Amino acid sequence: MSPPDEPARSESDALYEDAPCGLLLTDRDGTILRANRTFCRWVDVEPEALVGRRRFQDLLSVGGRIFHQTHFAPLLQMQGSVSEVKLDLLRSDGPPLPIVVNAVRHPHGDGWRDALAVFVAQDRHAYERELMLARKRAEELAARQLEAQDELRRADRRKDEFLAMLAHELRNPLAPISTAAHLLTRATSPEELQRIADVIRRQATHLTHLVDDLLDVSRVTRGLIQLEVETLDLRDVVDAAVEQTRPLITTRGHALHVDVPRGTCVDGDRTRLVQIVANLLNNAAKYTPQGGRIILEADSADGHAAVRVRDDGIGIDAALLPHIFDLFSQGERTPDRSQGGLGIGLALVRSLVALHGGEVAADSAGAHSGSCFTVRLPLSTLAAGRPVDTPVPIPLLRPLRVMIVDDNADAATMLAEVLGMSGHATQVAHSAESALAIVDPDTDACVLDIGLPDLSGYELAARLREHAPRATYVALTGYGQAHDRVLSKAAGFAHHLVKPVDIERLMGILATVAVRTDAPAPAQPQST
Amino acid sequence: MRIHDRHHVTLHGEGTPPLVFAHGFGCDQSMWRFIAPHYGERHRTVCYDLLGSGRSHLTAYDRERHGTLQGHADDLIDVIRATADGPVVFVGHSVSAMIGLLAGIKAPQLFAAQMWLGPSPCYINDGDYVGGFSRADVDSLLETLDSNYLGWASTMAPAIMGAPDRPHLGEELTNSFCRTDPDIARHFARVTFLSDNRADVPRLQVPTLILQCSDDMIAPMSVGEYLQRSLPRGTLRVIQNVGHCPHLSAPCESIEAMDGFLESLGLAREPA
Repeated sequence: MSPPDEPARSESDALYEDAPCGLLLTDRDGTILRANRTFCRWVDVEPEALVGRRRFQDLLSVGGRIFHQTHFAPLLQMQGSVSEVKLDLLRSDGPPLPIVVNAVRHPHGDGWRDALAVFVAQDRHAYERELMLARKRAEELAARQLEAQDELRRADRRKDEFLAMLAHELRNPLAPISTAAHLLTRATSPEELQRIADVIRRQATHLTHLVDDLLDVSRVTRGLIQLEVETLDLRDVVDAAVEQTRPLITTRGHALHVDVPRGTCVDGDRTRLVQIVANLLNNAAKYTPQGGRIILEADSADGHAAVRVRDDGIGIDAALLPHIFDLFSQGERTPDRSQGGLGIGLALVRSLVALHGGEVAADSAGAHSGSCFTVRLPLSTLAAGRPVDTPVPIPLLRPLRVMIVDDNADAATMLAEVLGMSGHATQVAHSAESALAIVDPDTDACVLDIGLPDLSGYELAARLREHAPRATYVALTGYGQAHDRVLSKAAGFAHHLVKPVDIERLMGILATVAVRTDAPAPAQPQST
Repeated sequence: MRIHDRHHVTLHGEGTPPLVFAHGFGCDQSMWRFIAPHYGERHRTVCYDLLGSGRSHLTAYDRERHGTLQGHADDLIDVIRATADGPVVFVGHSVSAMIGLLAGIKAPQLFAAQMWLGPSPCYINDGDYVGGFSRADVDSLLETLDSNYLGWASTMAPAIMGAPDRPHLGEELTNSFCRTDPDIARHFARVTFLSDNRADVPRLQVPTLILQCSDDMIAPMSVGEYLQRSLPRGTLRVIQNVGHCPHLSAPCESIEAMDGFLESLGLAREPA
């Protein structure tokens, strides 16, 4: 072998010393035996301070040292080399330097030596960080998506449960109605008939409420509810709600304590606000064992009115509380299903309260500790203290001539019978054509179904008016939207009733017709 | 799934008591390749991969069950019940020493003895106790693992850069050694380095060897001494070694210490 050529040697020395990477040779315990200038520059230490004095792992961050001991060193021991292990190199000043290390182990005497190449990995470090962040974001997104899927599944399950419950709830009133129909054919005494009629009316009312709630939910979900806003005294709203729920509260033997002072006014839709309070009262009555106590109170603060319905009933389980306003959510049912219901009342309440710019909250100390529902509504911004409507007492009735037009023969006949019992003379028609054929010019009132097969109720009203100009026209439809009311009003209907007809309301309308037509030169005032 | 498959259990040799080997954090059962064959000539040897490491079934890794070392200890009990009839000698490196500790407390009847290499019941300093690391140090390790994500990923199938002087290293081994799922590695690192089993140490009634390296940053001398003081039946042996893996870097010294301990208990056997 010829001695190495001097220039070539100095060239390879220079290549080693100033290589574009740090080069190290270490002993079996990691003690540095050689380090090139590039490496020394990076760690900012003179070669003399490294060689024979420091171990490679001592130059690493603590985390890096642990990683070196548990992963790097065993790997090197086992496979003789490692590649692209990322570590952090400590520097005498400045932040740690991210590096990538390749190492090869060579036998030496009884032991071994390791050759290490060290590369600065600032850019890779930065882009790994980016990758890590992107991955973390992707994981979070995936987790959120899973959560959303779970929620969808839960909603789907609630809907299934709801459908099962709905079928059950609809069948409940149908059974007694069907039995009652059967009994009617055998009933002999007036008392018996009355009792059967009571059953049917009660069950039909129940069915109507169920269907009303369902329709409301569907309208709210589709954003179809329009509020007819007026300034209302909360006391009036509360009174109407109490009136609606009184039968249930009485049946269940609850004590109801109302503490709502007059004079707190809000801007809202009367029907909807009454519905909100009535729903909460109904709930309190249903979910409180017989003989409970219900407190209905109101006050105002910070520009808001608060209505609270408190009871000492079965309360709300902490697990259910966050979901209590969700559609179809409901407390565990008792085996006798004494509470009934569809689990849509509170969802409706929340939606309706939100439509009024308010909020509703539920609170309970847990099962059997009672519940408290609080509805907060903005106080009225319209002129406060407007005169409050006082109900007009219904005067004594004069018999009227009433025409009833409905293609549902049963509905028409039944209505005629009811009106007949109150002394009114009725004419019944099942189509527009027959109505026009038999109409009496002295007819006082026409109750018209809007969805007739041959003419719409709107057109029929216009045609009938030519024959019976004095009559008061009452629309009877399955649709109670503001839009329908506008149409019927435009067609000359003075009143708009939603099926199934509220007999008392119709009687009230007829009573006012009787009063007015007693007086000379009757006008046709519009009211709904 | 069979325990054998779940933990990639490998069996060698015959003779009682069987020796069950459990590797430490960051590696797999191939760590025992310089030691286990020695015992395979004298005993039945059982090597297995901790769940989440090596060739164990990664799908069986359960972040809840394996969120504490007790989950791994229950795995060890399963492995012993599936592979041995009588009591075994358990050999655990690093974190597996604590896994053996918890298993030995829960099912002492399964163990004739335990031998711990580089054990530590708690890595973080706490008052008088010197575990070797501050909480910030351990956080720095976890940070290193996080930022070394791609590094971990690449070691799943490590490229051999060329080790011409190591012809014994088969292809099969080089492609599987220390294979680790990066996410599991990070989780296991948290479980390992944040664990504190000091309160459990005095409850182990099994005779136990503490094999302490003279210079081990992961388990410093103070920790080995603490264990000897706290273990009811602990024997401390210090061997001259730099690093945390005496079974790799000082296998002969390790075997000598282990043989001595087995002899003292009358558990040593002659080669078959």
